[in-house]
Amino acid sequence: MSGRQAAGRRGGEREEPGMVTRRRMLTTGLSTAAAVSGTAVALRPMLTAGSPADGKAAGRAAGKDGVPGDHDAPLFDEIYRGRRIQGFRTASESGVALFVDGRPLHVMRRVDGSWISMANHFQPFLTPLATARGAVDVIGHAPLTDGTERVAHDDH
Amino acid sequence: MYTRVNQRHLTSAQRSRFVEAVVQLKRMGAYDKYVTLHARYFAADGESGLRMAHMAPTFFPWHRQFLLTFERELQTVDPGVTIPYWDWTADRTADSPLWDADFMGGNGRDSDGQVMTGPFAYQGGNWPITYGVTDEKYLTRSLGRPDRPIALPTAAELGSALAMGTYDTAPWNSAPATKGFRNKFEGWTVSPEKGGYLHNRVHQWIGGHMTGGTSPNDPVFWLHHAFVDLIWVRWQRRHPHAGYLPAKPLGAKDPQHGRVMSLTEAMPPFGVKPSALLDHRRFYTYEES
Repeated sequence: MSGRQAAGRRGGEREEPGMVTRRRMLTTGLSTAAAVSGTAVALRPMLTAGSPADGKAAGRAAGKDGVPGDHDAPLFDEIYRGRRIQGFRTASESGVALFVDGRPLHVMRRVDGSWISMANHFQPFLTPLATARGAVDVIGHAPLTDGTERVAHDDH
Repeated sequence: MYTRVNQRHLTSAQRSRFVEAVVQLKRMGAYDKYVTLHARYFAADGESGLRMAHMAPTFFPWHRQFLLTFERELQTVDPGVTIPYWDWTADRTADSPLWDADFMGGNGRDSDGQVMTGPFAYQGGNWPITYGVTDEKYLTRSLGRPDRPIALPTAAELGSALAMGTYDTAPWNSAPATKGFRNKFEGWTVSPEKGGYLHNRVHQWIGGHMTGGTSPNDPVFWLHHAFVDLIWVRWQRRHPHAGYLPAKPLGAKDPQHGRVMSLTEAMPPFGVKPSALLDHRRFYTYEES
């Protein structure tokens, strides 16, 4: 049974309740010209070698696994369909940082409090855990691009 | 002035010419900017900043200009090519000729979702993925979302959106309470089990790259959005006295000020106002059937 086609089991939901996004409050009224909060900066050619953004990424506090350090509040850490998914509460606009096998999964927040991820971009989920699982449902066994998603997300 | 036609009515030669032009843009290094551009203007409404391509009233005009820009570049390669549209209320299955090996190519394989047939299959050498959400260098699809099956939108579902007499309404976002044709059609407010509605569900039904943040990696993106564009035309015809909203720039005290664009504000990165795009017949017509 393949990763993509296998039935998505959804046992043991232990979802976190909705979280307050502190920075979301602080950033309302931000000047709009600079605030097109898209994801282009999060995309880079996969075949290209390191860019200046890599240096910035290295300067960020990150644990040994490349995930946020212990100043960020962990939300979940589990194996789902063979992938390690982790979630942390952060001060970013989306309020969370999600990882699949240690690589950042870029997420955005919807106005109703739900999230969408870059992997499953047209399906909102109500919790960070469901968002991470929903991403794995789409990408199967494929590694996320080892890109600059988190940096891009924090910097806009 | 040129004509966009239903993909099911393309001749074999027309199918090949469209594919050839798209592949040629990719070969020239001109294609991937459309992938990054679409991602860049995809901002969500629970965060700060200007929303342009999605979760905003500019959903229709922004994508119209996005397709026009792409189409004009295609025509620099082959002046006879236009973007065909895919009426997904009519061609609803994975065995539609849309997915044949001389056109879009078929479904992804079970093991990794890799598209193995047609001009955009990785082995053909013409279609490496440059900007993706994953490390995969091959195009992926998962037609019908087999692990939790969903169906393409029906004509009845489309009809219920087309019946809405208001284009969009404050606060101009993706919330369930935002009642208008644009938000209903975009299709954000549906449960994970049922999938999205209309526009969103088509992205999900194709799966793979089309359901991720780099959806224009799959050339069927253009055929889907040409039909989306035609649906805007049909809505306009049905509601001739209802125009694009908001008609005027939002006041400084409006919570959505600077977050969405009105009829007369120029949309980045094109610098084109929605008002300049309301009548598609300035640029092309649709052969409807």
